[in-house]
Amino acid sequence: MITVEGLTKAYGGFKAVDDISFVCQPGRVTGFLGPNGAGKTTTMRVMVGLTPPTHGRVTIGGHLYRDIPNPGRHIGVLLDASAQHAGRTGREILSIGAKTMGLPESRVDEMLALVSLNDTEARRRLGNYSLGMQQRLGIAHALLGDPSVLILDEPANGLDPAGIRWMRTLLKGYADRGGTVFLSSHLLHEVELIADEMILIGNGRIVAQGDKTSLLAMDTNVSSLVMSLDNARLITALEQKGYTAAPEGEGLRVNCAPADVGRVALEAQVVLTDLRSGAAGLEDLFLELTSDSQRDVLTEGATA
Amino acid sequence: MSTTAAAPVPIDVNGTEQVPMSRLAAVEFRKALDTRAGRWFAGSILGLCLVVLTIYAFAAPDSDKDYEDFLSIGGGVLGYFLPILVIMLVTSEASQRTGLVTFSLEPRRSRIVLAKFIAGVGLAATVMVLAAVVAVVGTVFGQLSGASPEWTVDGNLAFNGFVLANLIGIFVGFAIAMLLMNTPAAIVGYFAYSLILPIAVGFLGFLSDGFEKVAPWIEFNTAQEPLFTGDYQPTGEEWAQIAVAGTIWLIIPLVLGIQRLLRIEFK
Repeated sequence: MITVEGLTKAYGGFKAVDDISFVCQPGRVTGFLGPNGAGKTTTMRVMVGLTPPTHGRVTIGGHLYRDIPNPGRHIGVLLDASAQHAGRTGREILSIGAKTMGLPESRVDEMLALVSLNDTEARRRLGNYSLGMQQRLGIAHALLGDPSVLILDEPANGLDPAGIRWMRTLLKGYADRGGTVFLSSHLLHEVELIADEMILIGNGRIVAQGDKTSLLAMDTNVSSLVMSLDNARLITALEQKGYTAAPEGEGLRVNCAPADVGRVALEAQVVLTDLRSGAAGLEDLFLELTSDSQRDVLTEGATA
Repeated sequence: MSTTAAAPVPIDVNGTEQVPMSRLAAVEFRKALDTRAGRWFAGSILGLCLVVLTIYAFAAPDSDKDYEDFLSIGGGVLGYFLPILVIMLVTSEASQRTGLVTFSLEPRRSRIVLAKFIAGVGLAATVMVLAAVVAVVGTVFGQLSGASPEWTVDGNLAFNGFVLANLIGIFVGFAIAMLLMNTPAAIVGYFAYSLILPIAVGFLGFLSDGFEKVAPWIEFNTAQEPLFTGDYQPTGEEWAQIAVAGTIWLIIPLVLGIQRLLRIEFK
């Protein structure tokens, strides 16, 4: 498990990470979500001892990273798949990793097979790899030492949809066997599908954390989206019950639960063609919580 | 040994040995040669050695074609280029960004520094042995061209002119590499140090007698000349000059460079 306690990293007056604390449990995939420049990578760099923290500390399985002997055997790290010598072949990159950790060359073949890089691809130089191939190689490198903790920065970056599904299955299986997985992303959909636990970060501070259900519960505005054969009659019926309905797209948005809308429609004998919850999804929540640190200001209603 | 922080799910590291230095050094040695740049560069140094010695074998007067002559010329060629191999080994951690992996697999950076020193010296030893073999080839060529070479080697030449001079060159390479941590800048810096600086000093010495006397005390290339010229045996004063200039150009940069490498944030 990974424990982050009161971690702050300041560069001069700028706080890249500002007093964050959280725990990543074994057997679970923890997603670290935030816009570009929110402090995700800095946090991960502190975790593996590449950046000294200004305050606070990170322990992995109770140890500071630098106190772990042969850390590759305990913690798999992928910070940047392109941070490898462009003139070295894929196989050679894994071989020197395996040699450092004291693993047999057969482990390299196993990992290449696991990430579906064939012999020809493994003999090519990293400079000739596509982003997706670099990412696969990076994941293979992280898994070399059969670690019990994985720390992956944007692991799905550059993978095609099939590759993303493959990685999701791989990491889920890894967590199910008791491993701790901590991965970052700026893409909500990636994390939403794979992570059991989510930590949302913006401007160096944690803005929300929890599983998907508890995060969605943070959105207290109940609303429904409804379409009917006679919207005008439905609006009148709804307003008589004290609800407000406003046109949205081809239908209406109502400030009550779908069940209430259904009941009103039944009484008014309006035929509904569509009825669903209008609660803000995780994406809206994410954008709202991190709005301070988003570079692009979204105008209301711009996203349908 | 138990950790003071009572973590609910600790990782047991007692059964894990730290990576032995021999393995770290072997990996660093391999990293110097397993890239296209590294392999070609090492091959080119030896190739250049062979070309220079072959030309020498046919162009030099017969009386100067002893094995010693070939060895000292080969050593000179190596001395210029070997440090660049070391510079690439060190600076690629930042320029090619491999430091992210290197230092997450061994977070105790001083161990990586030591491993690189060992690998660099090992690399130099290997190339020196190969150059000594190339010098044999050159001498045989000389013999074929009509000379009757002496095969004996003066111990001072072998140690001072060949081994020591090249080792100094390698550590200068280390120092420049760690200080600049950027491949092109370090190579330019190295040539500025090894080619431009001695010329500038020679020029200043030509203009002023006083400077000529001071030069060997403050310029390392000039100070090292007695190592590979004359009888390859520096006098007491010349050793003192090597020590003084070496402190300025080797020891101080090396110490600052190591400090920088231990602290720098690899991005």
